[in-house]
Amino acid sequence: MLHPQLAWYIAGPVLGLCVVACRALFNARLGVTGGYSEIIGRLREGQLAFDWRGWFLIGVVLGGGLYALAAGGPDFHGYGWLTAHLHGSAQAAIAPILLAAGVLIGYGAKLAGGCTSGNGLSGTAMFSPASLAATATFFATAIVVSFLIEAVVS
Amino acid sequence: MSSRVAGLGVGLVFGVGLSWSGLTSPDVIRQALLFESSYLFLVFASAVLVAAVGLALLRRSEMRALLTRAPVNWTPERPAHRHIAGSALFGVGWGIADACPGPIATQVGQGIAWGLFTFAGVVFGVYLFLRRNQPETEPAIDAPVTRDVRMRVTPATR
Repeated sequence: MLHPQLAWYIAGPVLGLCVVACRALFNARLGVTGGYSEIIGRLREGQLAFDWRGWFLIGVVLGGGLYALAAGGPDFHGYGWLTAHLHGSAQAAIAPILLAAGVLIGYGAKLAGGCTSGNGLSGTAMFSPASLAATATFFATAIVVSFLIEAVVS
Repeated sequence: MSSRVAGLGVGLVFGVGLSWSGLTSPDVIRQALLFESSYLFLVFASAVLVAAVGLALLRRSEMRALLTRAPVNWTPERPAHRHIAGSALFGVGWGIADACPGPIATQVGQGIAWGLFTFAGVVFGVYLFLRRNQPETEPAIDAPVTRDVRMRVTPATR
């Protein structure tokens, strides 16, 4: 059984070293959305040959599976505020809410040229002004949305 | 070592790191976004610090990338409207689902069924973007033309 949560001073540097590894191996920016984009783009063309970014995303998924195997199950149960506040027939709304949120996440990340990893971690570490602006924007928006949800459900 | 194997390996480490740190859990993300816990911010800040130092050292060494042999370098990108607009959309989705593309992938890997809906949404969102922004790869679609013709024909046949 794994320790329930890595200390921040171990987790942070491990994720940061992944960014450094992508630069050292490929001279490329680490970005999870790039992996989705690579796989979806190739599948649209009827191809199954993904470049390293596609395999990186497959690795992230398998990393989650590896953790669950070692820990003896997933990291959490239920789904955050949605299963905590939506009960009975209202639970039918959770799937469409998550689906819609996913569309905003996928389309928004592609438009912005990166997500929390591509713009947030890698772009910020590269001191890219575009990534700094993107990171400030998505943190601010997500914080405002979280407080709005909190005001509605509590 | 091929690029694909290397990509898979870095992804595995990244996925285990996201899972073991608890960043896959929507409760951990939500506590951070409501300023109830500093954990996410400490992970994020230390990750950026380590990455910034590592990238600066790589760049200074003037090395070539180990697998692609490209000179290690990058140019900073100027902020444009799309970075702000896209990140605003992204932030709304992140605040609702309390998961971003990496943790969504690790949720699916951990076997969390709710994550499949968010995952499907991300796939559809990325697909929509690719479809809208790569018109040259699309076959000629005559649907809009048919609609125009019908609109023109309908009054005439009346």
